[in-house]
Amino acid sequence: MQGFESLFESVEFLLIAGIVIVLAYLALEHKEIVYAAFFFGIMASFVAGFFLLLEAPFVAGMQIAVYTGGISALIIFGVLLLPRAQDSTLEAIESPRAKKIGILVSGSIVFLSAILALTFPWSEAIPEGTIESSLDVALLAEWLWSDHGVYVQIIALIIVTSLVGVIALMKMDKAELMKDITGEFGIEAKPLPEEPESEEAPEAEEAAESEVSEEVDE
Amino acid sequence: MIPLSWYLAVAFILIGLGAYGMMVKRNLIRILIGAEIMGNGVSIALAAFALYSPVFTLTGQALIILMISVAAGHTALALVLMLAYNRRYGTVDLGRPISQEEKINV
Repeated sequence: MQGFESLFESVEFLLIAGIVIVLAYLALEHKEIVYAAFFFGIMASFVAGFFLLLEAPFVAGMQIAVYTGGISALIIFGVLLLPRAQDSTLEAIESPRAKKIGILVSGSIVFLSAILALTFPWSEAIPEGTIESSLDVALLAEWLWSDHGVYVQIIALIIVTSLVGVIALMKMDKAELMKDITGEFGIEAKPLPEEPESEEAPEAEEAAESEVSEEVDE
Repeated sequence: MIPLSWYLAVAFILIGLGAYGMMVKRNLIRILIGAEIMGNGVSIALAAFALYSPVFTLTGQALIILMISVAAGHTALALVLMLAYNRRYGTVDLGRPISQEEKINV
């Protein structure tokens, strides 16, 4: 029974790993950027499967709520607001040399990290200690809010700063688009441009008034 | 039980794919997706360490929660920067921003 469970777990892992890697590749390489954003969202929900395998159900729920529900929706909104992003001609760097360097650097990251992952003696490096229950959300909440509350406050400050930055950037962007305020109101108001006085204007007005009075008489 | 190195291998493949997207692509949204894929890879590595190292269990999970929260904030900031870039240069192509004069001629 134990053997069947471990086999089932291995099959599950390999299935999820394959799907996640293929979806991540499609999110980067699919021609249509909207489909790429969808693939990213589905990939994020499959990553939650890894968290379930790793006995972290609360993190899995948060991954689905924030990544699949929030971030992928935010990216789709970004695509809708930026119609030029759908242009598939700007998919890759034109210079083949720069592309080769990019592939080489990312390939070397994967290669060196894989060597590290497969050859490093993890069992000796990981310290032994008492096993904490990873499934207990109450313990997790206690760790976050009472034992290490300062970390949460620092993260909250970072998020507030980023949101204030977002609002400030949007305001700056709008201020650049606005034209000068003209008129007789406000401290920053600019004076109205003076209209050139013409001598023929009073005569034209008199003629127009006489035409109107004639029409009324008729 | 699945060995730790398997999880780390998947995590490093995702980090490598994200790095590839960030270095090779010119579309700003693709670059953002690459950064998010890298973040997911790091989350998987942290969760694996959290399970396999007994003293790191709660710390690892809490770090992932904090990381996911920050990811939402930085994605919003990145999208606003993209909008500002698009308004200023008229494109989301990182390789060739259009100058103001060129934009007027178009």
